[in-house]
Amino acid sequence: MQTIQLKKPVTPDLTFTQWFKNVYNGVRTTVIGMGITFKYVWDVKPVTIEYPEVREELPENSRSRLFNDAQNCISCLQCAAVCPVDCIYIASVKRPADAEKIKTKDGTAIRLDLKQYTIDTALCCYCGLCTTVCPTECLTHTTDYEFSSYTLSAMKYDYLAPDIRAWRTRLVKD
Amino acid sequence: MSTHTLEDNHKIILGDQEILKSDLLTLNMGPQHPATHGVLRVEIKTDSEIVVDAIPHLGYLHRCFEKHCENLDFRQVIPFVDRMDYLAAMNMELGYALAVEKMLGTEVPARAQYIRVIVSELQRIASHLMFFGTYAIDLGAFSPFLYAFQDREDILRLFEELSGARLLYNYIWIGGVWNDITDAQLNRTKTFLDTFEESLKKYHSLVGENQIFIGRTANVGVISKENAFAYGVTGPVLRGSGVKWDLRKDRPYSIYEKFEFNIPVGVGEKGTVGDCWDRYHVRVLEMFESIKIVRQCLDGIEAGPIIGKVPKIIKVPAGEIYLRTECPRGELGYHLISDGGKKPYRLKVKSSCFTHISALPAIAPGQMIADLVATIGSIDIVLGEVDR
Repeated sequence: MQTIQLKKPVTPDLTFTQWFKNVYNGVRTTVIGMGITFKYVWDVKPVTIEYPEVREELPENSRSRLFNDAQNCISCLQCAAVCPVDCIYIASVKRPADAEKIKTKDGTAIRLDLKQYTIDTALCCYCGLCTTVCPTECLTHTTDYEFSSYTLSAMKYDYLAPDIRAWRTRLVKD
Repeated sequence: MSTHTLEDNHKIILGDQEILKSDLLTLNMGPQHPATHGVLRVEIKTDSEIVVDAIPHLGYLHRCFEKHCENLDFRQVIPFVDRMDYLAAMNMELGYALAVEKMLGTEVPARAQYIRVIVSELQRIASHLMFFGTYAIDLGAFSPFLYAFQDREDILRLFEELSGARLLYNYIWIGGVWNDITDAQLNRTKTFLDTFEESLKKYHSLVGENQIFIGRTANVGVISKENAFAYGVTGPVLRGSGVKWDLRKDRPYSIYEKFEFNIPVGVGEKGTVGDCWDRYHVRVLEMFESIKIVRQCLDGIEAGPIIGKVPKIIKVPAGEIYLRTECPRGELGYHLISDGGKKPYRLKVKSSCFTHISALPAIAPGQMIADLVATIGSIDIVLGEVDR
């Protein structure tokens, strides 16, 4: 036979006066509480927004959907190296010596031809480290936050594909 | 974990009377129970309504954080540190950044120090507001949750403007902070604190002074001083048991020695020392103290750089450090070992939530099931930090 001794929770003695005190306190504190909540019937402006009709403006440096402006990318691989979850895939080849010399917007010479620039947004943890190391500032977080998709593969953004490059006019402010 | 095993033949005595009327019932509370704040499963053995044994089962949120850090360089660890206690990510980052800076010997500029204290104290307020709201929901009151989130929103909006994210900031970097805070944002913080202090008094009289709330929490889930020391609980749970211990005051880190604030402790105002109401009240009073600290910061902050001199590739000299900070939920310790390379050799985290949940088998037996919900709510655990 095993005996388990449980400690009884402390319960204060309920005297006759204490009982009346409890009832009085119950009524009093409820009235106070109802008074506080009742003030919210008037005189308080609404704090919520009705989402699909009204959309919230995110702050300027909000870390939402990533966008790479591939024209300005010099394939330096710094973003792929700093990514803690390794979700940036870059492939590039050396630019032929006789090819036309091209530069990015801020004047850095492009010596590598970008062949693939893909970010798996499903893996991305939106930490923002890749945007801080980018030397030409072509990889940026935009304030676009509505990008759910039906399939996982649709979360892989190939920034050289024309349909995704078309976001540029919508997302990036020059 | 459990102190005793239950077999077929047993006798259960509560206080001085025998209570077992039928067989013991094993009940699983969670992993999706709304009162457990995340995925915690508590296996409870009950005799009718009385809990005889409660065993927490952990590991549903285990992400291998500590091992994973050994493959990341020192800057890349910060986004993962955020994800431990996702309700107080700033405080998590602060501890890690301080540990690495101490090993590197980096000087942090004064402005960055002030910004760090401002954000981590605002984060403490936001985290306690979350506790306030969800604890009221656990006990059946809904509107305090909405009030708490309304004020929490102002803080999160400020953090969103500073760092770009609402919950997982990656804002406190090694050597300083990411972005500077503008004067307009400082002024907004000042007005927020003024309005918030008034409304917090109102919220406390709505919830904490309410007779039903007192009835549900006073004398429930008592952690005595001896039990608190035995199980190594820290933070508001320890202070709720009447022990005056706060790392910000007793072992100052960062620039906390500059500020004047009190350490609220539980005195058993509505029941016994160390009951759920005391823990609730300590957290509410701590919010007022945080307001005080942020006000002093706003007066003391001066212009200057926000990030110190840190090499581009951080190589921490070989050695080890154990650094602890006071987080909203208790003491957070980082044990960082470096072998001189680019990556931590080992990063062990001592989490307060883990020690708090391990004290549950000691407090739970003898309670009603509904009181167990109040107890789990009052120790305020975040499962992301328990499991890591």
